[in-house]
Amino acid sequence: MNRALRQAVLAMLALGIFVSAANIAIAHHGYAVFNTSTQATVSGTVKQFVWMNPHTWLWLNVQNSQGGVDVWGFEGMSPNFLGRRGWTRTSLKPGDQVTITFYPFKSPSQKGGAFLTAKRPNGEELKMFLGDDAATDK
Amino acid sequence: MKEYDAIQEWFSGTPGGRGAAIRRGFSLMDFAQKYLGTFALAALVSVALVPATAAQGFKRPAPTAADWSALAKLPDFTGVWEVPMGGPSRSGGSRGTSGFPPQPRLSLTPEYAAKVKALEAKHAEDTGSANCLPPGMPGIMGEPYPMEFLLTPGQVTIVIEAFSMVRHIYTDGRPMPADPDPSFFGTSIGHWDGDTLVVESESFSPLTTIDQRTPHSDKMKILERFQLTDPDTMSIETTVTDPEALTEPYVTHRILKRHRSWTIDEYICEENNRNSVDANGKAGIDLTPPQSPDSSSK
Repeated sequence: MNRALRQAVLAMLALGIFVSAANIAIAHHGYAVFNTSTQATVSGTVKQFVWMNPHTWLWLNVQNSQGGVDVWGFEGMSPNFLGRRGWTRTSLKPGDQVTITFYPFKSPSQKGGAFLTAKRPNGEELKMFLGDDAATDK
Repeated sequence: MKEYDAIQEWFSGTPGGRGAAIRRGFSLMDFAQKYLGTFALAALVSVALVPATAAQGFKRPAPTAADWSALAKLPDFTGVWEVPMGGPSRSGGSRGTSGFPPQPRLSLTPEYAAKVKALEAKHAEDTGSANCLPPGMPGIMGEPYPMEFLLTPGQVTIVIEAFSMVRHIYTDGRPMPADPDPSFFGTSIGHWDGDTLVVESESFSPLTTIDQRTPHSDKMKILERFQLTDPDTMSIETTVTDPEALTEPYVTHRILKRHRSWTIDEYICEENNRNSVDANGKAGIDLTPPQSPDSSSK
């Protein structure tokens, strides 16, 4: 197995474990509103990154096919959880261009989902879940 | 004099005093009969009985300098601890680095197996925690957030970051109240068995569950054993018994790591909760974007 493939498999394995754990422990709620069997991506401009409990929320301005802008919502881990894993309340700022990977809402009318990763144009990636325990003694 | 030291320990209120005395094979009654007259023995017995009959009004004596210094002899539980979250181990172990080992299945009585089946038939999409209802015991000890242990004379306090909760464990020798009011964390009485903190809890709210979905009876009891397995690792063994719900004790283990540089943060679930579950178990989410970035972003 080449290195990239092995890393991809490991990442998926880690994600799978976190998602199953998410149902029992990580989030303060179940994942019923999300479709965790598929991942989607969407690109847009950060409208607001809300650093509050029980979940961070990323609001993203996304161009729609009619030439307008829709606001998509992504539910992330709590500030308490992320703050011990390298994130700050300014990790994402209004105006930042990002591509979000997420579990979409089951309802087709709802735009957004469970926030997994954010990737910047320069390749920098911010992850909600890092596989091995990434809680740091800062 | 060995007996004198032991009885001093017994009455000093120092956690572990009784355990230490018992370990030395000391018998309070032997001592009393040998050194005290019948009158004194009667006085001793009545003193011993008063707290048992007036547990609700248990009055802890003001701590002395000796009580504070006695804390230094206890294992160092102070500081902030968390169950490590982890994926597959880099070394290839199947259990990985997670502090949550695989949990055993509950062994339910037929009555409670039927209750669980009936609950599952409702296909509730979520639990009350989606509405910010905190878990009770034992679930609150398994949240993916840190906990801080505070040791003061006669008490261990656990400050739980998840939902900003607090557990009070009384180690001052008070008995379990006869019929404590049901509560999310129960009423907790602890003692030190050598270097292990042993905590018994009783009387839990019917709103709490044994695991994610299993209800309990009013006879549920929880026994916890806290100990350090190395200087910055704590093991918690939790044994749930319930003669109406469980056919055998439900024993789980958690491993916590200490983080000396961490502090406990605030966690107000109602601050910006957009999740919900209704009375029929239907999960919902509020996707109304915040009106003003300035007013809702801290």
